[in-house]
Amino acid sequence: MSDSNDLTGRNATQSRRRFLALGGATAATALAGCSGILGGGDGGEGGSDGGTDTGAGQISLSDFRGSGPLVEQRDAPGGTSIEELPDLSGELTLYLGGGEGGLYLDLINLLEQLYPDFTANHRLEASSDLANTIIEENEAGASPADVFMSIDAGSLGAVANAGATASLPEEALSTVPEAYQDSEGRWVGIAGRARAIPYNTNQISESDIPSTVQEFPETAALENSMGWAPSYGAFQSFVTAMRLIRGDDETMSWLQAMQDHGITTYDDEFRVSNACADGELTAGFANHYYTLRVQSARDDSPIGLAFTEGDAGALVNVSGLEIIDGTDNADLASNFVRHVLSAEAQEFFATRTFAYPMIPGVAPVGDLPRIDDLNPPDINLTELADVAGTVDLLRDAGVL
Amino acid sequence: MGTKDRYERLREQATTSERDSSPHTLLAVVSLAISLLLLAPLVWIFLRAGEIEFARAVELLTSDTTVSVTLNTLALVTGVTVASILIGVPLAILTAQTDLPFKRFWTITSALPLVVPSYIGAFAFVSAFGPRGVLADLLSPLGIEQIPTIYGLHGAILVLTLFTYPYVFLTTRASLLSFDGTVVEAARTLNHTRWEAFRRVTLPQIAPGIAAGALLVALYALSDFGTPAIMQYDVFTRMIYNEFGARRLDYASVLSMLLLVMALGILAVESRLSAGRDGAYVSSGSRRPGLIRLGYWKAPALLFCGAIASLCLVLPIGILLQWLLRSGTGYSGGGFAFEASYAWNSVGLAAAAAAICVVAALPIAYLAARGTSGISSLPERATYVGYAVPGVVLGLALVYLGLRYVPFLYQSVILLVFAYVIRFLPQAVGTTESSILQVDPQYIEAARSLGYHPLSAFRKVVLPLVAPGIAAGAALVFLTTMKELPATLMLRPTGFETFVTYIWLVQGAGYYGQAAVPALVLVGLSGLSMLVILRREDTS
Repeated sequence: MSDSNDLTGRNATQSRRRFLALGGATAATALAGCSGILGGGDGGEGGSDGGTDTGAGQISLSDFRGSGPLVEQRDAPGGTSIEELPDLSGELTLYLGGGEGGLYLDLINLLEQLYPDFTANHRLEASSDLANTIIEENEAGASPADVFMSIDAGSLGAVANAGATASLPEEALSTVPEAYQDSEGRWVGIAGRARAIPYNTNQISESDIPSTVQEFPETAALENSMGWAPSYGAFQSFVTAMRLIRGDDETMSWLQAMQDHGITTYDDEFRVSNACADGELTAGFANHYYTLRVQSARDDSPIGLAFTEGDAGALVNVSGLEIIDGTDNADLASNFVRHVLSAEAQEFFATRTFAYPMIPGVAPVGDLPRIDDLNPPDINLTELADVAGTVDLLRDAGVL
Repeated sequence: MGTKDRYERLREQATTSERDSSPHTLLAVVSLAISLLLLAPLVWIFLRAGEIEFARAVELLTSDTTVSVTLNTLALVTGVTVASILIGVPLAILTAQTDLPFKRFWTITSALPLVVPSYIGAFAFVSAFGPRGVLADLLSPLGIEQIPTIYGLHGAILVLTLFTYPYVFLTTRASLLSFDGTVVEAARTLNHTRWEAFRRVTLPQIAPGIAAGALLVALYALSDFGTPAIMQYDVFTRMIYNEFGARRLDYASVLSMLLLVMALGILAVESRLSAGRDGAYVSSGSRRPGLIRLGYWKAPALLFCGAIASLCLVLPIGILLQWLLRSGTGYSGGGFAFEASYAWNSVGLAAAAAAICVVAALPIAYLAARGTSGISSLPERATYVGYAVPGVVLGLALVYLGLRYVPFLYQSVILLVFAYVIRFLPQAVGTTESSILQVDPQYIEAARSLGYHPLSAFRKVVLPLVAPGIAAGAALVFLTTMKELPATLMLRPTGFETFVTYIWLVQGAGYYGQAAVPALVLVGLSGLSMLVILRREDTS
């Protein structure tokens, strides 16, 4: 890992400012140092409230924006600015599914810093678990949750299908492309996560990577040199998509063909992507942003990113939000959704988590293709809810 | 609690001098009410499991998963129990009966691992021996790429053993210190070798002590949630938590019922054993047997004590300190910044649980110590069920009871504290009862003869004498509450984090560095509970 000079704890805010003023961020600090105004990394007591109480108005775009080579010379984000939105105030109960390893909490913390009267009490658990919890609570009467924020559309869809959602504000829905929101407007995407093929640029050129995953087991260059992380939710969504498109039998055959072709199992897709950069693997299956994390953490690492076309391997899943039925905080919840789709918050997702922003005014980082240039399969993201069937299939195939 | 025979005497006295039973009746009613309240959530588990159609229930009970989880759990419990005896008994003998150098020091280091919450131990071991852990980093320059995985059964056995063997150590040590040494001397004069004397005289004498500790270890291994979860080993607790998460309620309740039955089984054996301890676990012998001279064995014995202490104490604390000094992981986890409020939440919960336990324990303990009928010990026995209730089972029961019947309490601190009281009340009852037994009823007689009302006699005479026991009970409840993981995870209000939920959250996300401080604080605080225990252990 990179040796980071972590900007953490007590003086994070000031040092971040100084640091941003200096410009020319190093790659290492882009990752380890962009830990939000609250700092972190050492978890020390006293690292908790940054020592300085940053009130409203002291937070600027630079606080939402990441840093490092991928973020330099970006245009100002377009879209609705937070300044144009009504202030957030009151207590919001937020169920946070997945949370992208704490990164989403940084955004929540930023909003709490910006609005001293606003608190978001969060419950962070696996997205599918929280979906089931909300459904259960809703059946019993009412869920304590006001908003469900999840890293996976399948779990948002499950809650919506159970009739546990309330309506979303039109201002929010109108800014997001229809492919990335529920057809009935019950949930809305906030950040896109594309399935992709990280590859080692020294070992294979992009043109040699097939344009569909079905061709991978027949590609000699990829024999015994690929990796995947089948326990990871996003990978399972990809397999679920394949089941929806091609059926269980073909999916099973493909899983077995990949294993016969020789593929290594990893714990998570960040490791798969790192292994591609190390030359341990020629290529792998991973969400797109892991490659950007690797690139950002290491200068000139030999890792590239390829995308398949029109098949399960090109799935674009989203993190999204929905307002939960029975909330007594409807106005605050709506306002919160609008904040997460504001120019600054979308810049946060683009530059801090390297996800695809959901509003047209904000571009993805680096040389990522625009989300419109991707060729995702034509499936309804809400249908990705059948994870259980996928897990069974992966077990039967001996992959899990 | 070496007061068994005095206890019998007192009980006789108490029964013969029985005069005024009205306070007892009141106490009995109060105590029964408390114990019924505590048992209610467990009844729900059985009722919920009973709702399942018979065919479905059979299918669930005989499914491959159930069978393999049962076998896994048995393997874990057996492994941990056997390994704990193999470590705990030799350590007890070495520190109690031999001329081992620095005995006092080794006694403390052998008991101390109990203060490291097992999930923190597991977490440290994964960090040391896991993939890309400290050991892997050390070995990789030497060209060793693959080290055996720490995950799975052996890892779970290793960690649970290292942090629970002190139960065996402490109970064995207590019986070694209290048994009549003259018997061993007698055996020696009959030309038995040391080993024979040990096997034929000492071992039978201390066997109940070993068994008592072993059963505690078994109960702990059976109901521990954090370690198997971190070691990715499927046992009942982990499966119940996962099924609860996925809201597959029927299966979760079936597994809970199985786990509860196993735990109650262990508890039943334990209580029968302690009931039949007459003069074995604790006898009236006052003479210690002569010290065993280790001779050549001194070096290996020291090595053994040192190795265990290094694994249990030096390694985890060293790893935590290393996290503290090392910079963060691959990408930031700023959202997981520790907040002071988490500490206050932990302290507040623990204080509330301790206060309620002390108050609830008083009538139950008094009744059990001074009661006159068979019924008087019923509430006490009922509270002991709390010992056997694994946190995941209780969490599951209370989440659903709350959701269905008391929605205004769902995800409230009140329900969470209620869970702690169910689980930890036995500790308060135990310490309070043993201190009430130390009070000579004649004091009360004297106070009564001076015209005091029974209640004021209790307040003026008994209470001051039992205060230390009550305080010890409160301290134990406080400290065990601080460490409790599964029920806290399942029942905490949204946005309400504590030391343990925070540690759990960051370890799940892999930000080890951020868990270091809260984990060290937790270990330090738990260390205080050891002081309470050691102060109550009447050792020389």
